[in-house]
Amino acid sequence: MTDTQTQPQHAETDDARSDLISRVRTILGRRTEGRAVALLSVVVVITAITEPIVFTSYEVTLGRIALIGLVALGLTAVILMGELDLAVASTLAVSGVIMASFESITIGILAALGTGLLIGVVNAFFVIVVGINSFIATLGMLFFLRGAAFVISGEAPVRLANVDAGIAFGRPLIGPLSPRMLIFIAAFVMLHIFLTRVRAGREFYAVGGNREAAHDAGIPVTRRVFTGFMISGFVASLAGVINTLERTAADPTAGSAVLLASFAAAIIGGVLLNGGRGSVFGTLLGASSLGLLQVALTLSGVQVDVQNIVIGSVLLLAVITDPSSLRAAAGSMRALVRSRSGP
Amino acid sequence: MQMRRSRLVGLFAAGAMVLVACGGAADDGAVDSADAEGDTTDADGGGATDGEEFDVFALLPQGNDQPYGTTYLPPMEAKAAELGINLTITNSQYDADTQASDCEVAVASRPDLIILWPAVGDTIRPCLSAADAAGIPVTITNSDVNPEDKDLTEAFSGPDTYGQGAASAEIMCDLAGGDEIGIIMVNGLTGNSTAINRESGFEETIEAECPNVTILARQPGDWNKDDSQIAASEMITAVGAENIDGAYAADDTMVAGVIDAFIARDMDPADLYITSIGNTFLGNPLVSDGSLDGTVFQSSSWDGENAVVLAHEVLTGQAVEDLFMPSVKVTADNADDPDVAPEW
Repeated sequence: MTDTQTQPQHAETDDARSDLISRVRTILGRRTEGRAVALLSVVVVITAITEPIVFTSYEVTLGRIALIGLVALGLTAVILMGELDLAVASTLAVSGVIMASFESITIGILAALGTGLLIGVVNAFFVIVVGINSFIATLGMLFFLRGAAFVISGEAPVRLANVDAGIAFGRPLIGPLSPRMLIFIAAFVMLHIFLTRVRAGREFYAVGGNREAAHDAGIPVTRRVFTGFMISGFVASLAGVINTLERTAADPTAGSAVLLASFAAAIIGGVLLNGGRGSVFGTLLGASSLGLLQVALTLSGVQVDVQNIVIGSVLLLAVITDPSSLRAAAGSMRALVRSRSGP
Repeated sequence: MQMRRSRLVGLFAAGAMVLVACGGAADDGAVDSADAEGDTTDADGGGATDGEEFDVFALLPQGNDQPYGTTYLPPMEAKAAELGINLTITNSQYDADTQASDCEVAVASRPDLIILWPAVGDTIRPCLSAADAAGIPVTITNSDVNPEDKDLTEAFSGPDTYGQGAASAEIMCDLAGGDEIGIIMVNGLTGNSTAINRESGFEETIEAECPNVTILARQPGDWNKDDSQIAASEMITAVGAENIDGAYAADDTMVAGVIDAFIARDMDPADLYITSIGNTFLGNPLVSDGSLDGTVFQSSSWDGENAVVLAHEVLTGQAVEDLFMPSVKVTADNADDPDVAPEW
C-alpha cells in the first residue's frame, strides 16, 4: 500500500471522528441534565461511603424521591413554558381535604383530581386570558386555596372515613414499590412521552423559548398554556390524594415543604426558569439527588437547619453553574476588565 | 456519631466543590462543616448508668428553631447521655409529610425505640403501625396521640394540654366571678393537637364552670406574636372594643401580641381579664406587671428530660404509664416563686 492510498483513508477516518465528536458535542450541548448527573453522582458516591443504609433501605429512599418528585414533574410542564405555579402546595392541601371530606374514597379521589384540573384552568385563565403575571396570579391562588382548605376542613385535620384503606394503600404493592412510587413512575413515563414524542408536548418548548415566534408559527399558545397549568394542577392534586391516603387524614397545613422542594428539584435538574429548556428526566435526577441527600442527612442525625443549608447550597450551585449564568458572568467580567484597561 | 455527621456534611461540601469544577465556576457555597457540627444535636457519650447503650430516634416537630425546642433539647440530650442513649433527632417543622418520611427513615434504621412528638396527631397512625410491624416500641412526648392510636404506643410523657386549657379557663372564671363578660380567643396553629386540646380544655371548662363568660370571636395566632397581634386587632375591630372584657391566648408568646393589640387601641390590659399558658420568659414578667392576669406553667426541661426517662424505662423493661407534667397556675401571687421560674 502506498502513501498516496493511506493518506485519504486517514483523512476520512479523521473526518468521521471529528464528525462524531461534533455530533456528540451538539447532543450534549442540547442536554440540560449535565449538572444534575454530576450532582447525583457525587451524592451517590458520598452516601454509598457514609450511609450505605440509604441504598439497602431503598424503598425509603424511593419513597422520599417520589414525595419530592411528583409535584416537581407537574411543575416542570409549566416552567418549560416560562411560567410559574406557586399554588401547587395549596392545591395539594385543598385536594386532600376535599378527598377526605367524602365518605366514599372513590368519589373523594375523583372530586380531588377534578379540583386540581379546575385550579389549573383558573390559573391559566388569569395568566393567558386576563394577562396577569403567573407569579402574581398563582401567588393569589396560593392564599385563596390555603384559606379554602382551612374553611372546608373546619380548621382541623380531616380523618379518612376508612382509615384501614389508607394504611393498606401505604404498603408495598409490587416488590418493595408502594402505590406512591408506582404512580410517580407512571407519571414520569407519561410526561416524558408527552413532552418528547407528542407534538402538543414538544410545542411546550417552543412556547417557552419564544412565545411570539411560537404564535407566528401557528402553535396554539393559549391551549398549550392551559394544558400546562392543568397538568400541574392535576399532578399536585394527585400528590394530595396520595398524601391523604398514606397519612389516613388530610391536613389543611400540608405541603409547606413541597413548594420549595419541587422548584429545587426542577432547577437542579436543569429546567430553565425562563422556559424553553429542560426535561422531566432532569427533574427526576434533581428529585433523586434531593431525596438521597435528605435521607442520608436525616440518618446521620443532621438537624433540619443544616440540611437546609446543604440543600440551599446545592440549589445555589445549580443556578450559578447554569451555562447562561456563566456566560453572563463572563461577559460582565470582560466588560469590567475592558472598562478598567480603557483610556 | 457526631464525627460521622460532620464527615458527611464535609463530604457533601467537598462534593459541592466538584460540582463547581464541573460547572467551571468558582463558588463559596460549600457548607462549613464546623457550623454544621455546632448545630447538631448528637447526644452520644458515655456515662450510661448500667453500661448498656441504646439507639433511639426522636422524631420531633421543632428544635432550635423554636424557643420551646431550644430549651427542650439540652436536658433531653443530657439525660440521654447519662442513661447511655444514642439519640438521633429529627425536626419536621410541623410538616406531617416530612415527619412521616422521617418515620420511614427511622424504622428502616431499626433503632431500639422511637420517641415521637406528633406534628399532626391525626396523621400519625401509619408511622405507629410501621414501627409496630417492625417491633420498634414508640413512646410519645409533649402531645399525645389520639385515643384510638394509644394501643400502638408504650406511654406518653408531657403536659396535659387539655388540662392546661382547663386551668387557664379556671383562672378566667375566678377573675370574672359571676359577671357577664365577653372575651376574644387566640388559638395555636390550626390542626396542631396541642392547639386543639388547649382550645377544647378552655372552652369546655368555661361552658361547665362559668357560662357567664362568652367567647365573642376566635382566630388562630399560629404560635407567634405578630400573627396574634394582627388576629387580635381584627377581632377588636369586628366585635367592637366596648364589648371586650378580656382575652385568652393559647400561649404566652401569642398573649404578648394580644396585649400589644389592646395597647394599640388605647385599651389598658390591666383593666381587662387576660389569661394564657406557658409562664415563659415573655409571659412571667407580664404577670408580674399586671398586664397578664394568669398563665399556666409549662416546663420545657421537664418535658425533654422525661421523654428520655420514659424511653429508658421502656428499654429496660420497666412497667410504664403516662407521665403528666403538673399544670401549675401562675398569677401575681406566685409569679416570683423560684418553683415557677420561667425556663423558655
